[in-house]
Amino acid sequence: MPAQNSSPYWNPKNETLRRSDLQRLQLMKLQRTVERAHATSPFHRRLFDRAKVRPDDIRTLDDLRRLPFMTREDWLACQAEKPLFGDLITRPATDAIRYHLTSGTSGRQPLRVLDSRKDWAWIGEAWCYGFWAFGVRPVDTVFFAFSYGSFIGFWGAHYCCEKIGCLVLPSGNMTTENRVKQLVEMGATTVCATPTYALRMAQEAQRLGIDLQRQSKVDKVIVSGEPAGSIPATKKLIEDMWGAKCGDTAGMTEIGTIMVFECSHQPGGVHILEDHFIEEVLDPESGEPVGYGERGERVVTSFGRGFIPLIRYRTKDLVVKVPHTRCSCGRTFDIYEGGILGRVDDMKLVRGTNVYPRAVEAIVREHVEVDEFQIILTREEGIRDEITVKVELKAGTETRWEEIQRQLGKDLADAHEGLRFNVALASPGELPRFELKAKRLQDLRTMA
Amino acid sequence: MSTDRPAIARQEHDLLGRPLSADERELLDLYHRLEALASRNDLPPCALMNCKQAMVMLWNACVDLDLLYEEPGVD
Repeated sequence: MPAQNSSPYWNPKNETLRRSDLQRLQLMKLQRTVERAHATSPFHRRLFDRAKVRPDDIRTLDDLRRLPFMTREDWLACQAEKPLFGDLITRPATDAIRYHLTSGTSGRQPLRVLDSRKDWAWIGEAWCYGFWAFGVRPVDTVFFAFSYGSFIGFWGAHYCCEKIGCLVLPSGNMTTENRVKQLVEMGATTVCATPTYALRMAQEAQRLGIDLQRQSKVDKVIVSGEPAGSIPATKKLIEDMWGAKCGDTAGMTEIGTIMVFECSHQPGGVHILEDHFIEEVLDPESGEPVGYGERGERVVTSFGRGFIPLIRYRTKDLVVKVPHTRCSCGRTFDIYEGGILGRVDDMKLVRGTNVYPRAVEAIVREHVEVDEFQIILTREEGIRDEITVKVELKAGTETRWEEIQRQLGKDLADAHEGLRFNVALASPGELPRFELKAKRLQDLRTMA
Repeated sequence: MSTDRPAIARQEHDLLGRPLSADERELLDLYHRLEALASRNDLPPCALMNCKQAMVMLWNACVDLDLLYEEPGVD
């Protein structure tokens, strides 16, 4: 094996595997995963029985489609029926070493997850693929702007950085001001945060009179938790404010770790960790596969988590898969172009036009004067839907408000079949800031 | 503590049928030795729990390199 510190790949053997071999490996892992799930998870056995499929029916990768989907609703129902963890788990809860919850940002009942010692080690391992790919090395000092609570967030990334040999700075419950001061004082080279919070810290640095480009050593900002990390305008804003490269990752509590990462070649998307996952892209309504370049819902099968087998889990994330050749890094892992594009259930219908919060953000962030924003949907006189984008401007740009208002309204309308957006001015500090997943859309129509 | 090593069947190929390199064989051997130690119940806690930790790290390396694909949930 070559000297690993000089390798651009965490796992050169698999990251450059021929596609045909990668698929053989996936089939082998799929077969064993299905056998185990059938043998040890009553939840999965029930789903398989209902679909009249047995483990030995899985002979090719195409047979994956014979397996039933698993949904969040199924999972929640089994948790409700057999608290606390349902009959999805394959081992007694006492065998676990870790407990986490989904973030609950959507206001729904959270999912509870357990991990064994091996599961937890694997969670860190998957992050290692991504961090190494973006250039994190043992010499790096990595600052985590993360509260270390029961939301899984960057927990795995923390252990990944310890494994790589970085100096890890966990910021826990520090204030934003103290975080900015500490990462500068300690010479952090890499900062991990949500895209929203990366911007928030950069704004705070400006308020403190700290020029991050000159006074910090940060050359990598690694983001996760929101689709914004792959929105070009948001990414550029982060890169400009930090004077650093911004790399996107995406994961989910249901998986425990990341399933996609951006490499240092920044191909305009994220590589799929295909030796640890199978990621299908399906039409969300028909459940039929869509081809390269077509938008669909990602459906994930994981090979790494033993406590909770995840087989054909419908994520509701919208993605567009493109071939690995789109990137020049040499990895043979395919790519989600533009990262996670939003969620199937994120779409809002406003006067007959589809509106995705991610698309609105992509336009708002083109306007560099905007510091923070909110999207508010209301129903006027009981029938007429209105969409308002409320923006907070950066200090010193207020005199240009009328011009910004006119141009932003036009840009939003142009991108939405002429739909009229109201653009309103918020006072400085009026709009909420977020550390974890940002909630920038308020749909007040159902509350009326 | 016993120093007897369990007999481990020699594996010559990875999951895709490629011959193992000398380094891969050593990693796999180390993993199986740690696995055997980690399954004992007569070791002092400081030995047993650290063996388990070491074992799962080696398990990661062996899975990444397609040397094995064992049930992840079991320690």
